[in-house]
Amino acid sequence: MRTAERVRHDGGATPMAPGTPSAPVATGKERMRRGVNREGLEAGRRGTRTLLWVLLAAAMVLYGFPFLYLLFTSFKTPIDTIAVPPTILPREWTLENYANALGRSGVPASFINSIQTAIISTVLSLVLAVPAAYGITRYKTLSGRIFIMAALVTRMVPPVAIGIPLASMMASMGLADTPIALSIAHTTISLPLSIWLMSSFFEAVPKDLEEAATVDGCSRLGALWRVVIPVVSGGIAVTAIFAFLASWNEFLFALLMTAIRSQTTPVVIANFQTQFGLDWGSMTALAAVYSIPVILLTLLLQRRIVAGMTLGAVKG
Amino acid sequence: MSTRKNINRLATIGGICTVVALAASGCGAGGPASSSGSAGTSTVNVLVEAGGHAELTGVAEQCKKETGVDVNFVELPYDGMFNRLSSEFSSGTVSFDVAALDSVWLPSFKDAVQPIDELFTDEAKKDIFPALVKEANVDGHFIGMPAWTNAEIILYRKDLFEDAKNKADFQAKYGYGLAAPTTWKQYQDISAFFTKDGMYGTDVKGGVETEWLAHVLQAGSPMVLDANNKVVIDNAAHKEALDFYTSLVKDAPSGAAQVDWAAAQNLFNQGKTAMTRFWAHAYRQIPKDSAVAGKVGAAPMIAGSAGVGGVPGPWYLSVPKATKNADAAKKFVKCAYDYNDKGIESNLGLAARISAFEKYQDKPGYESFKPLIQTLNGKATATRPATEKWQQIVDTVLVPMLQKAVAGGDSATLLADAKKQIEDLLK
Amino acid sequence: MRISDRRFALFLMTPAALFLAVFVAFPLFRLVADSFFKISPIAGGSREFVGLDNYVRAFASEAFTGAGWRTLAYTLVVVTLEFALGLGMALLFTMLGKSSQIWRTVFMYPLMIAPIVAGLLWKFLMIDNFGLIGTLLHQAGILSDPNQIGWLSDPGIVLYSVAVPDIWLTTSFMCLVLFAGLQNIPGDLIEAARLDGARAPALLFRIILPLLRPVIAVALVVRGIDAARAFDTILIQTNGGPQSASETMSLLIYRTMIRFGDPGLASAMGTLYLLAMLAVAFVAVSTIWRPGKDN
Repeated sequence: MRTAERVRHDGGATPMAPGTPSAPVATGKERMRRGVNREGLEAGRRGTRTLLWVLLAAAMVLYGFPFLYLLFTSFKTPIDTIAVPPTILPREWTLENYANALGRSGVPASFINSIQTAIISTVLSLVLAVPAAYGITRYKTLSGRIFIMAALVTRMVPPVAIGIPLASMMASMGLADTPIALSIAHTTISLPLSIWLMSSFFEAVPKDLEEAATVDGCSRLGALWRVVIPVVSGGIAVTAIFAFLASWNEFLFALLMTAIRSQTTPVVIANFQTQFGLDWGSMTALAAVYSIPVILLTLLLQRRIVAGMTLGAVKG
Repeated sequence: MSTRKNINRLATIGGICTVVALAASGCGAGGPASSSGSAGTSTVNVLVEAGGHAELTGVAEQCKKETGVDVNFVELPYDGMFNRLSSEFSSGTVSFDVAALDSVWLPSFKDAVQPIDELFTDEAKKDIFPALVKEANVDGHFIGMPAWTNAEIILYRKDLFEDAKNKADFQAKYGYGLAAPTTWKQYQDISAFFTKDGMYGTDVKGGVETEWLAHVLQAGSPMVLDANNKVVIDNAAHKEALDFYTSLVKDAPSGAAQVDWAAAQNLFNQGKTAMTRFWAHAYRQIPKDSAVAGKVGAAPMIAGSAGVGGVPGPWYLSVPKATKNADAAKKFVKCAYDYNDKGIESNLGLAARISAFEKYQDKPGYESFKPLIQTLNGKATATRPATEKWQQIVDTVLVPMLQKAVAGGDSATLLADAKKQIEDLLK
Repeated sequence: MRISDRRFALFLMTPAALFLAVFVAFPLFRLVADSFFKISPIAGGSREFVGLDNYVRAFASEAFTGAGWRTLAYTLVVVTLEFALGLGMALLFTMLGKSSQIWRTVFMYPLMIAPIVAGLLWKFLMIDNFGLIGTLLHQAGILSDPNQIGWLSDPGIVLYSVAVPDIWLTTSFMCLVLFAGLQNIPGDLIEAARLDGARAPALLFRIILPLLRPVIAVALVVRGIDAARAFDTILIQTNGGPQSASETMSLLIYRTMIRFGDPGLASAMGTLYLLAMLAVAFVAVSTIWRPGKDN
């Protein structure tokens, strides 16, 4: 239990006596004054709440507007997208941009490449991270601590620095321009984060579980696989989602390492910017198609993610 | 435990996905196998930019019919293409068999592409613009076949120029008839005249350098470097050209520092500018549903004290040394020469052979061709210096200098600074 | 045969360690090695040893030192704003409690958007002549002309304009993390403080922030590193211009390596960059975050 610092009065009333317990419970009267059943930081008075709701509404509008604008633009006619002055809503709604974007050669293929690369990278990341995180947290060895520091250092490497060496490494292994090469590159990005996240999830599992299992005759690996992993399955799901997102949205490695066969959609989106024309319509349509499935998927799984972040955040 | 069941289910799904993904991962979903793995096939991968894709599609169809060579186009944006060429050439493995190169890139990549001297017959040399034949020859070998060429011309709003009231007002104010400009002074006058009521006379492009270089030629100096590779950017002609360029800022839409080709083209097509200096292909690219469709006229580039001058923007087809498909690649390049006129029907609408242009120049819808040919044959027209540091000079010196100039910097100081920077680069 | 716990732990960590060694450590080693050579951009070209020459050139070049300061400024702006906004939103959600849960979910959506898409989106909003923001501000009467502020064309402010998509994307993350941290503060503590008469500012600075310190520390360090490495958003918005005013280290290294074909110099810059980040992170970690001290 963390001890809070004693709060001094702003008004200069009597300071708390040394013997007072540090967390007295509020009286019923006190809580009634603030509104029914609102504890801790939650705002009680109606006036305050209304103000807060207004603030929230404003924040939501400001925050959500850019993406809505993207969506609206994708439904405008191509020439309408570059109107001067620009408009928010389409003058005439059309699916022309979507047809253009998705009909362009290489675009559907890039989707397949993106999915492929993301899946391989996620699986690779999990397969490597879960045992490693377990080893670090359960057996607090020196090598474990060194390893986690090394993982942090890996995170500091700017992709631009290792992009070209990795590309020529892959080329010399005969893997130039393949999804697996890109997946490996993406895993270098998601592995440190995965180890970090899984470490915090493992920390939350009490040791008694494995001890019970080993007492029952399970090997250590068996205990890990049969007992611990099911318990952190939620954490694994969260880690998987983050690893998937990291690969799905990645641009720089894809730019440096893919050419024709394994090009992913983010690169295709950037390529709509030609020297003599800016195909905003197609670009917004493709960006929308690329982002919406992921947004929907994550909103569906959001509760898991928030729960995961809670655990991850607290344990650092 | 239901959690166990879920885990098992998830794991199975995940496992199946992975197996499928891994199985398919050898071949990415995009396009046929790259040339480095399939020697001797008759499919060539051609790396192009958007305009080039349009240009060569007709050629590709003919080539397939005639020689059986199948073509797979890979399209990239301009900047992306240079970066891709750089990174592939430096890693040593190329994913393409033919690449369309901008002329300014030839010096940088000359060591990475192979000679195609056999395609430059005497007949070919006569039918290609002389400046392009000269440019394609680097260190004694021909390393690129010109596929199309381009130059900036004047595009203007015919409807506004032919309007009776405008004509009368202009005559009264400036003392001569309103017509497509042929000199610098006329360009300035007309720009000032049309800047009113939410419209501008012209645009000023701070984001790109070729237009200013054309004016340098018109003022009578070679661009940036002279024949001995000495830096001459601070001479009188450069200063005149820069002053002329920036004098138009007051008659142009704001934000000149970031206005590039795309922005300028859009502004003109939206009817915001009365004139623009732009690459000739834009004439045929005006969308049918735009505000200015059918109201646009074309005229050759204006003349400075040294006459009409333009910077040609040719693109060359080259074959990389590292390709395993060289024969098929060279066949395609030959097709591109033979059917060069097919490109004229495309979205970009350009060619490299004089005969191709002459075939179309009198047809309706191709009013931009005569001005283009006149500009390409202009007295002061010349190609850009062939130095492998050109891209770097443009990126780090020329464009920033132009951006500072259009924002109000002193031209003499800026040119002197530029000289020093370029000399440092070339050391 | 039962191997020792320590061996078992090592065995568990080996695959991941091996992976990082091969695919991160080795390329880094090549990066550092390359920084001592002058390398031709075409494969199979020349490669001559030049010692510390690349490093000298890097320090002497204005592009490099400029990029360094710009990266620092960019990082500070991004991290400060995303922390402030994220904390504000987290507090807002906490104070509104369960009824705002659905909005919390909605607020998460920028996390899913690719940085390249966010960059394009904001470029579209801020670009001269075609951008919506200028037009809206003009219609609201705040600007006299839609193009009065050159968000992406004015070298004085472009570095801060290109930070906007980055902040927009990462505030969600900060909010999520801080919200989670706030959930762990026991309600009784707050009640007690309130009973003692503490008002909002005191609550915030004396109780909440100190309790959140480990969370904040990690978040700041991690986001700081990410901001310093920013690439996608800036590349797509301005490509480093105008006049290199938005060119951060990542962009400079990319340009030097790919566009100007000088891998040796780029490697030297990359090495220096990495060393700087390590140094800063080390300082940050040992001062702000004291692992194990807070329990």
